[in-house]
Amino acid sequence: MSMGEVKLFFGPNHPGMHGNFSVHMYVEGDVVVKARPVPGFLHRGFEKLMERRLWYQNVALIPRICVPEPDINEACYAMAVEKIAKVEVPERATWIRMLVLELARIANHLWSFGGIGGPIGMYTSMFWSVSDRDKVLDIFEELTGARIYHMYIIPGGVRKDLPTGLEEKISKLMDYLEQRMSEYETFILKNRILHTRLKGIAKIDTETCLKLGVTGIGLRATGIPYDIRKVDPYMFYDKVEFDVPTATEGDAYARISLKPQEIKQSIRIIRQILEKMPSGPVNIKISDGNGLRIRVPKGMAYAKVESTRGEYGYLVVSDGGETPYRVAVRGASYPQGLYGVEHLLPGTRIDDVPIWLDSMGVCAPEIDR
Amino acid sequence: MTSFTNNIQEFFERLKTLYNVELSEIDSKQFKIIAEPDKILPLLAYLKEIGYSHLSILTCVDWIEQKKFELVYILFNWSNGITFLVSTFIDRDKPVFYTVKDMWPTAEYYERDVHEFFGVEFEGNENCKKPMILELWNDLPPLRKDFDPLKYSKEHYPDREYEKDAIHEARIVRGDIRGDVNG
Repeated sequence: MSMGEVKLFFGPNHPGMHGNFSVHMYVEGDVVVKARPVPGFLHRGFEKLMERRLWYQNVALIPRICVPEPDINEACYAMAVEKIAKVEVPERATWIRMLVLELARIANHLWSFGGIGGPIGMYTSMFWSVSDRDKVLDIFEELTGARIYHMYIIPGGVRKDLPTGLEEKISKLMDYLEQRMSEYETFILKNRILHTRLKGIAKIDTETCLKLGVTGIGLRATGIPYDIRKVDPYMFYDKVEFDVPTATEGDAYARISLKPQEIKQSIRIIRQILEKMPSGPVNIKISDGNGLRIRVPKGMAYAKVESTRGEYGYLVVSDGGETPYRVAVRGASYPQGLYGVEHLLPGTRIDDVPIWLDSMGVCAPEIDR
Repeated sequence: MTSFTNNIQEFFERLKTLYNVELSEIDSKQFKIIAEPDKILPLLAYLKEIGYSHLSILTCVDWIEQKKFELVYILFNWSNGITFLVSTFIDRDKPVFYTVKDMWPTAEYYERDVHEFFGVEFEGNENCKKPMILELWNDLPPLRKDFDPLKYSKEHYPDREYEKDAIHEARIVRGDIRGDVNG
């Protein structure tokens, strides 16, 4: 007996939904027949707002484009502005930027590792990882004065040097997290709930990933070791040693199990940074000008970083004025969050939809902007 | 990578003769290519074929003084780490261009985005006129330079009226903070 097609709205008020995003689903029984992504709940017009603010004022605005991982925005924006102005950042500032980005990577991997606990009903992972993430946020608070939106990386360097004694605290935290990662692997990744709910679910293959432009963990879980830090090293990623963990299955479990491994690599990078960091100045003026009212020469540049979800980039255009002429944001989850939802979800079950959104790292604010 | 840097001049000469492009260097691994609108599709297909197969983003810049829209396709090569910013200028008064969704399926959504925020139409992408992020929008596309957000919000939303705050007024009278008691 045919049950007939029913339209189902899976939106931000649903407890299984990951952020302010929605999917209109047409279902038969509990199988998705058609899925249509509907973003727009979080559109705040960042790209337009940035055209009306001074170059430095934007630093306070852009971390909000990606809520769980704000530092990548500042880094991309600053790198793009420096490319246009052809300014070399002091060496220490670059190392500090890498330190901040890697700490942010750990924080966001922990956050999304816990996030998967929501849709599958395994809250232990959430409690564990959120409490560990808090320890990283404590470091950020001491370093920048804020826990989530740091506004620390600015065009020309970073805002301030590290406070005294922070390096020891970071290396202590790294020791703690390293020991925790093996606990995560034995306790959470071998858990039966996780295996039953994630193995073979939300699968994607290499060819589809490359065709759509899916980057980051989604691509690496299919066996391709593509990482922008290796392929097109920005900052000093060519001066540190790290591996790019991959898996071959391409399903949600493979993606989740890569996260603790990536955190281990970040820990490895941070230890090298703390060792190699020289002393010296931490910022430089972008151009002559009155205090924060700088002018950036005419030009266009694209800067990208490897975020936890994939390639994240800013296209910055300057017409030589006091404000950017145009800024375009390439959100890491654009391909999998829009095209992927429309074309790859049909055929799966309703309860697999949040697993796709969660494990592929679909982030509504960076799609809406 | 080394073979690329050796052959880079040769490669650029080839692009110049084949597609009549203008080339400029942004940094050692990032280049901008400006092509004529009728050459852009073969150029993109050629670049995709030789390895620049990752479309990072397709976006648009409004050059209102030159009366042009600049469409920018950012292509990345995973094997040598080179980024190309392929751009072309189209007429601002008649913003119609061709879709690239057959080459990059995700471009369908980038084109919808560009149509929504700039009003550029993409021939061959029948979905590009569907609203995506802005619901029930009935004004100029908002990222155009002649769209005035302040005027729009004055027209569409009432000014908020604030209740008078006695403590705040007292501070103004005492001179702690600057302000106008009546405003």
